[in-house]
This record gives sequence, structure tokens and C-alpha cells, in this order.
Amino acid sequence: MAIFDEESKRLSIKLVYYGPAQSGKTTNLMRLHDILRPDLKGDIMLMETANDRTLFFDLLPLGFKAPSGLLIKFKLYTVPGQVVHDSTRKAVLSRADGVVFVADSQRGQSTNNGESFANLEDNAARVGIDFDRLPLVVQFNKRDLSGILSEEEVLRRWQAAPWPVLFSSALVGDGVVETFNALLKQVYDSLDREFEFQARHDLSRAAFIAQASGQIDRSPP
Amino acid sequence: MNSDTEHDFERDLSLADLLRGIDKQRLESALQALLGTAFAVSDHNGEYLLGAADLAGDAPSLALYGELEPIGQISAAIPQNRLKAAADLIRLLLRANARYLMASDLHLQTQQADFEELQRRHKALEQSEQRYKALAETLEIRVRQQVKTIENTQLKLYETEKLASVGRLAAGIAHEINNPIGFIRSNLSTAAGYLTALNRIDELLQTCADLSSLKAAWQREDMPFIQQDMQDILQESIGGAERIAAIVKDLKGFSRVNDADWEDADLNQLIRQVCNVAAAELRDKAEVYLDLSQLPLLHCHPGELGQVFLSLLMNAVDAMAAPGKIRIRSACRENRIVIDIRDNGRGIPASDMSHIFDPFFTTKDVGKGMGLGLSVARNIVKAHQGDLEIKSQPNVGTLVSISLPLPAGR
Ligand SMILES: Nc1nc2c(ncn2[C@@H]2O[C@H](COP(=O)(O)OP(=O)(O)OP(=O)(O)O)[C@@H](O)[C@H]2O)c(=O)[nH]1
Ligand SMILES: Nc1ncnc2c1ncn2[C@@H]1O[C@H](COP(=O)(O)OP(=O)(O)OP(=O)(O)O)[C@@H](O)[C@H]1O
Ligand SMILES: [Mg+2]
Ligand SMILES: [Mg+2]
Repeated sequence: MAIFDEESKRLSIKLVYYGPAQSGKTTNLMRLHDILRPDLKGDIMLMETANDRTLFFDLLPLGFKAPSGLLIKFKLYTVPGQVVHDSTRKAVLSRADGVVFVADSQRGQSTNNGESFANLEDNAARVGIDFDRLPLVVQFNKRDLSGILSEEEVLRRWQAAPWPVLFSSALVGDGVVETFNALLKQVYDSLDREFEFQARHDLSRAAFIAQASGQIDRSPP
Repeated sequence: MNSDTEHDFERDLSLADLLRGIDKQRLESALQALLGTAFAVSDHNGEYLLGAADLAGDAPSLALYGELEPIGQISAAIPQNRLKAAADLIRLLLRANARYLMASDLHLQTQQADFEELQRRHKALEQSEQRYKALAETLEIRVRQQVKTIENTQLKLYETEKLASVGRLAAGIAHEINNPIGFIRSNLSTAAGYLTALNRIDELLQTCADLSSLKAAWQREDMPFIQQDMQDILQESIGGAERIAAIVKDLKGFSRVNDADWEDADLNQLIRQVCNVAAAELRDKAEVYLDLSQLPLLHCHPGELGQVFLSLLMNAVDAMAAPGKIRIRSACRENRIVIDIRDNGRGIPASDMSHIFDPFFTTKDVGKGMGLGLSVARNIVKAHQGDLEIKSQPNVGTLVSISLPLPAGR
């Protein structure tokens, strides 16, 4: 749940990258750190073991100022995907304002994706998150590999689900910002009711997304 | 989960938080030597944390950044580029400390959540234990019904047995409790059979007036044996119920990790509770010998010290290649309480010795050790103004000594 600090005029929004082990959550965060250019960008904090498995979480802090002067701060976390770290996953998920579910597109990973999604649903309930109202987007990652489910297959399987499905190749950065933006769109709508971004902070949805992801200028300086 | 526990890994860290655990004097003298002049570090409220508080107000200064925003500043009368180098250096230091603080807070937070789960389960166990006690006392009535109730309770208890999240102790404790429940149940079914025999004699009692046929029936139903056996199984069942009660009592004492309060506690009792709680985990792996001398009460945080003892005990168990011995000794000398935990496990290679207190250093398999046990233990002991030291000899064993000061003039 977003934390609003009246005194310092600061709103803190927590977004969590969830998904099975090795699906590319940490890679998403690293690419966002490379690509995004918001007003404020902190260092990325990676907590992994020698073989690249996230042990506790990764954290990327971002932020920008709304026209009203309100500082909007995002904390992007990844959870550890390995099954044994469930308590940690639960603690990191708690109080999330939005979730990107990073699935692995490889054919052999469907069961892991399914189990991890069920685990997300369980843990959300345990930490008191109303799953039906939680801003959520699903990202099918590793599109660059062979032996993956086709886009048609993926979309067919997720057809009945209410969440947007996006495709990405986080390793090279494709689709990573699009996923983030798709989540921001939902987060804006879900928080707008409480914080009245447009009315009180002169902040439209388009501006919210553009400023959070800092419209990218890829040309060399 | 309780979201406002003291270990919320997401809380905003102030400059003072981030400097916690860093040797202030060493940092000050290193900075002083590097900058070659007086300097001051203050937080964003202007409170001085490092260096010279009386530095001239017009000295050049640079902001020190936390996650995103300035959390303080450094000032010194030196060129901007050198000031920036110093600020960068401090920032690197703060980042490393933030990483550790967040990880260890999260570690404690998940541990607390796991213990809350354990506590919840024990409330359920305690309730059924009380039911068993009442049952043993009013055995003659409604035996059959009660057997049914137990069956249901037991079923429910073990249906909810998602022990994985409760950590390595819970599985063993469940087994420990399951065992007496097993024989109490079987005793109750036997008793139900005996009641049927008694009922048959009771029927005869209503209809026949002749003592000898009554006596014959008594023998036929094997009543002398039943009388003796009934005595035995009741005795055994009461013993079982008492065993369950003892286990529950130990756990309740130990799993108070959430009590933020300090209190006067008997560390010997705490050590015994920890050993009892860990009994199942120790079985077949290590024998624990307690050598406890009378201790004065210590004003401490018993829940956290219990975690320290448990963590050290688990390290000792994990060090056993073959079944071994663990000796825990407590003593009070020179106004300090000293607790030694000695094992004859595989020991720590000299090359690892300088790393074992490093957070995340572990030689255990992925998923088994976090490498936080010792660093968290040392922090807890330090919070009690105490010391934690380790001596080890490879292939001989390891000695962990904790020394905790008593209030002066005791
Ligand atoms: N080919 C390909 N590999 C990827 C892609 N994204 C991530 N990977 C690789 O997949 C492996 C795991 O990526 P991580 O980002 O560490 O995965 P994670 O989800 O954080 O894993 P855990 O921390 O264990 O939960 C790494 O070797 C990445 O380089 C992708 O789009 N394509
Ligand atoms: N009694 C001991 N005997 C031998 N080695 C030990 C002992 N205690 C600690 N060690 C060594 O020190 C390392 C660090 O211990 P520590 O308790 O900090 O972490 P851990 O036991 O690996 O993981 P955790 O306690 O977080 O589950 C261990 O991995 C082990 O190699
Ligand atoms: Mg990761
Ligand atoms: Mg340990």
C-alpha cells in the first residue's frame, strides 16, 4: 500500500517483480536501471549469490516531482524465485502496489510458471493483498530463445485472464520499458482514487508514465 | 505478518542508521588523514554525526545521498573535487551498510514470521492437549465419542501441517507430539473395549441374583487382567499427556521473539528450553551435555538471546560429520555471565576464520545456510554489551564463548 508522507510531501510506491526462478526478474531491473532516465534514479542494489540467484531481493529506487511539488518515489523490488525462499518472497511482496509477473517463455517452464503464479496468489492472500484489485501485468520473457511457446499459444492460454500480457527479451532490453509502463498505467488508475493525481497534483496518467520512466533519449550526449 | 515489527527491512534509513556498526573513531581518523584537514558530517537536520562539530559554518559542503534524496552533508575547507571524492567514498560505505542492514532486517523479519506461525500452531496443540487431559480423567464416560473427537482433531492438526515454512525444528517437534498422541489413542480404543466387557457384566447384574454365575462371568470377561491393564494404560496415557504439556511449555517460553521488552531472565532456563526445542533436530546427530552453574538473573531480551543459542547450537549440529558431542557450560565470574558452547565437529579451517562473521558467508548448501547466523548472533550479543568469540581447530572442534556483563555493583 502506497505510503504518503504529508510532512515531506512524498508518496512512496512499491512495485514487485515476481516469478519462477531464473525467469529474468533481476535482468528486468538491471535493464530498467540502464535505460530509464527519470529525474531521480538511485543505485541498483543486487543481492545475489555467486551463481546469480537472488538471495533476498534486488532494489531499484526511482522518483520524480509532480507539478504540485509532490515527490513520487518508486521502489522496484525483485523476489527470489527459488522455491525454498518462500518466507522472503512473502515479506518482499507485502504492501506491494503493483506486480509484474515475469514468466519464462521456454516450453519446459510452463509448470514452473503455473506454480509460481499460484504461489503469488497464495502469498498475496497471506499478506492481506486483494488479488482481484492488485495492478498486475504478465510478461513472457526470453523471446530470443528457440523452443519457446509462440505468442499465439501464450495469448490463447491467458485469454480468459484479466491481466495484460507482454513479451520481452530482457537480456537485450526489449519489452522491459513497455512492461513497466503497462504496470504504471494500472498503478495510476488504482492509486488515483485515493490520491487524486489529476485534481490535486496536476498530473495526468500520460505524464505520470512519461516522468516515471523518463522519456528516453538514446542519442549519445 | 505484523507489519510494524522493529525489523522492517523497508523502513527509511537515516544517516545515523547507516553509520551504525561502523567504527566511528576509525572512520573519522581515516577521513581526517585523507582530507588533511578538519571536516564535519551532519544529517539533514543539522545534527553532527562525525568530525568536528565546531567547523566554520562557511566551509564548502556537499550533500550525501541516501536511496534518492540527500540525507546529510559533509563539509571541509578543501577543493570541491576532493570533497566530492570523500563524499563518494562515504556513499560507497553507506551503500554497503544499507545492503547489510536491509538483508539482516529482512532475515529477522522472516524469522519472526516463521515463529509466529509456530506459536499459532502451538496454541492449537495446547488446546487439544487440554482436551486429552480431561479425557483421561473422565474416561469411563463416552469413551467411544471421545475417540472420534480425537481422531478429528488429530486429522485437522496434521492437515494443517504445512511445516516447511516453520523451519527445521517444527518437523521434529510434531513427531515428538505425535508419538504420545498415538499411544493415547490406542489406549483409548483398548479402554473402549473394556467398557463393553463391563457393560456385559452390568447387564448380568440386573438379572441374576446368584453370586457364583456372576463370578464366572467376571472370570470369563477376564476382569482381573482388565483391572490391571486399565490401571497401566491410564497411567501411560497420563504420562503421554504430561509429555505433550512439557513440550508445549518449552516452546511457549522460547518462541517469544516478538516481545520487544527486556526482562530479567535466567539464562540457564533459556538454554534448557532451547535444547528441548531442538531435541528432535539433535537426535542421532549430537549429544548435548549441560554443565550449568547457578546464575543471577540477567536483564536481557530473552527472545533474541534464545535465537542466538539456537543458532549456535544448529551450527554445532551442522558441523558434525558423525554423531558428536556438544557441551554447553554457563558460569558467572567477575561480574559477567559466560556461556561456552563447545562441539567436537569438523571445526573451521584457518582460511575461513576471518570470514565467518561476514554476513552471507556460508559453507553450507544453497537453501540450507544463509550465512547470517553468526553475524546476527554477534549483533544481538553486542546489543547486550557483550562479546562473542570463536576458537576452532579443524577436525577437533569449535568453541563459541559468549560473555555478557552484569550491571555493576552486583
Ligand atoms: N536468452 C535470454 N536469457 C535471459 C533473458 N532474461 C534473463 N536471461 C538469463 O536468465 C538467467 C536468469 O536471469 P535472472 O534475471 O538472474 O533471473 P531471476 O528471475 O532474477 O532469478 P532468481 O533470482 O533465481 O529468481 C540469466 O543467465 C539471464 O542472463 C532473456 O530475455 N533472454
Ligand atoms: N560450530 C561450527 N563448526 C564448524 N563451522 C562452523 C561452526 N559455526 C559456524 N561455522 C562456519 O561458519 C559459517 C558461517 O556461520 P553462520 O552461522 O554465520 O552461517 P550458516 O550457519 O552457514 O547459515 P545460517 O546460520 O544463516 O543458517 C558456516 O557456514 C560454517 O562454515
Ligand atoms: Mg534474481
Ligand atoms: Mg548458522
